[in-house]
Amino acid sequence: MKTRSLVFGLFLLAGCAREPAPGEREVPSVPASDLPGHGTLNQDGTPKEGPRLLPVEVYIQFYLDVFGGLSPLGAETLARGKDGALFDTWRDYLASLGMPDYEKDIARVGQTNAMMLASFERVGVSLCDRAIERDLRGATLDKRTVFAFEPTKAAPTEAEFAARFDVLHRTFLGYPAALAETPRTKRFFDLYNATVARHTAKGAAPSTFTPTEAGWAAVCYGLVRHPELHTY
Amino acid sequence: MNQRETTERRTFLKVLGGIGAAAVTGAPVLRALAEDKTTTSDEFFVLIHAQGGWDVTLWSDPRNEDKGLVDPATDKLVNTEGLRRWVDDAEVRPGEHTFKKVQPAGSKIVFGPGIGDLADLYDRITLFNGVAVNTVSHPDGTAFAATGRHLAGGRVPASSLDSLLANEFGTGQLLPAVSVRFPSAFLGQDLDRRAMPLLVDGIGSMGRSLARSNANTTVADRDAVTALLTQEAKDLAARAHDPGAMNGFALQLSALTKMLGGPVQQIFDTTKLKAAQPTFDYTGRFMGAFAPNFAFAVEAMKANLVRCVSFAMGSFDTHTSNYTDHGLKLQETFDQITELVRVLDATPHPTRTGHKLSEHTHVIVVSEFCRTPQINLTGGRDHYPNGSALVISPKFRGNTVLGSSDLEQMLPISSRTFGDGLRAATPADVIATVLGAFGIDPRKYMRDGEVIKEVLR
Repeated sequence: MKTRSLVFGLFLLAGCAREPAPGEREVPSVPASDLPGHGTLNQDGTPKEGPRLLPVEVYIQFYLDVFGGLSPLGAETLARGKDGALFDTWRDYLASLGMPDYEKDIARVGQTNAMMLASFERVGVSLCDRAIERDLRGATLDKRTVFAFEPTKAAPTEAEFAARFDVLHRTFLGYPAALAETPRTKRFFDLYNATVARHTAKGAAPSTFTPTEAGWAAVCYGLVRHPELHTY
Repeated sequence: MNQRETTERRTFLKVLGGIGAAAVTGAPVLRALAEDKTTTSDEFFVLIHAQGGWDVTLWSDPRNEDKGLVDPATDKLVNTEGLRRWVDDAEVRPGEHTFKKVQPAGSKIVFGPGIGDLADLYDRITLFNGVAVNTVSHPDGTAFAATGRHLAGGRVPASSLDSLLANEFGTGQLLPAVSVRFPSAFLGQDLDRRAMPLLVDGIGSMGRSLARSNANTTVADRDAVTALLTQEAKDLAARAHDPGAMNGFALQLSALTKMLGGPVQQIFDTTKLKAAQPTFDYTGRFMGAFAPNFAFAVEAMKANLVRCVSFAMGSFDTHTSNYTDHGLKLQETFDQITELVRVLDATPHPTRTGHKLSEHTHVIVVSEFCRTPQINLTGGRDHYPNGSALVISPKFRGNTVLGSSDLEQMLPISSRTFGDGLRAATPADVIATVLGAFGIDPRKYMRDGEVIKEVLR
């Protein structure tokens, strides 16, 4: 039986290796590298550009949209608050944010610098803090602009944090946190926990924020100043 | 390029990329190699742009004769009250006296009355006269003076001197270059992003950006966020096709913590600057507003936080009757520079024991062009394609003048034989000479310009 099967198989193989019929086109067995133009790997020679900084007006408009669809003056009033401790006026930050100042003939800044990041931090911290005060202190869920979730009563598990962090990540960076190229959710979870721990520790500096609020504020600071937000 | 060259280049780039990747992923030795570009130095630089175009006939290229196109300044054209070096000379028109040139004993340099106290420091001054600026446009002349290149299609095509010096000497500093309305430009992929000048509109206004309230969150909270973002930027750079921008972010974020935590806030506070450096003239009628820039330069160098401080002073753009104060503006400017040198003479160097700051500080003063030799119908002077540059540097020969302009038209005349023949020096040559003083080949950064060795020590 085995011998018969082997012979049958050989017959089949012989059938595959038949001579081409007259008029049928034969495909030459030539290595691809011998063909003209195929000696090298194809490479895309078009110039590529790295991530770029957008004009600062784009960021300011983004802040205005994210933090409640505000006007520039509205945002200034919100960020200053009653105490005026967190922000001054937009005018004080025009140059350091990289905006052109036509009155003083200062050109637009095309690339970031440390002072620009310091100014972004100043703006981001003030807007995040005011958003905490507005969203997490009595606003109903449908009225919340940034923190559109209910914080957990107890310390959140990693899964509970991830669900809430994803809301913020989509708001600020525009895509699910799970798709981030870095271990972002874990990092921000650690940041949240460390911040809460600092604010609950014995002898912690006095703060107007509860430990939970401080934790979410730190997460907000990290997203509103994230390098992915400043480049595209 | 043939096949072999292509392959070899690709292999080389792969090896280079491998080193970069290994450095990012943590091999300490390779990481050290990757960070080898950090540059440190004991030298400091102060660059000043006399904005608007100064009148060289009143200080560097004095003219007191009514000759050719030249209408010399007279006591009717110029407000001489308070102009300490003005001494009446010949009558050029009935009742109008011009000035006596200023030449302190021992000085080879002849000054005009606008030089102020700086004349006393003649032995430390190197003057470039008859500089061929070849333009009468403010933006073009400004770019040429700062970069050595004219504008190309309205854009600045090269990096400015402060960026180059910061790249060569300053990437290890917290603030490699601080530019207060100086025409700074940073172009090209071959410069370290840390050398990018920090552009500010005023020293004091920066203090607000660095102010933080601890009412809600603490310094430790915000530092933890910055540390996280620095790591995010580094990780994104490691995965990026073009890691430059993300690496830049990482560097700037790591610098931010130092800026918010150290003495940086102090040096951006004008009240504290005035208290720390009380000898600068903060109440000067024309240049008092710029005195904090000098105080900032001294304090920032003293604290070893910067490598290069650049700023603009002015305006010297005096087309009309405002020309009457041009001499006083020059005098106040040069008085401030004199005070800077005196303060540097009395200030210890932050890293060189036993040395004074002045032994390692290099002051370069430029303007976009000069003003016309003739007085216009409104009593002022317009733009003219000639210029001067002033250098006070231990690397330069003091009591030295290079170049001149012709007596009748006040245009640059050929001063020496350059590589491309006999011609006048240009702003590119001035910048190249500053680079050459430190052994830097100008061709590394510049298309034009040649080192003028005879003015160097």
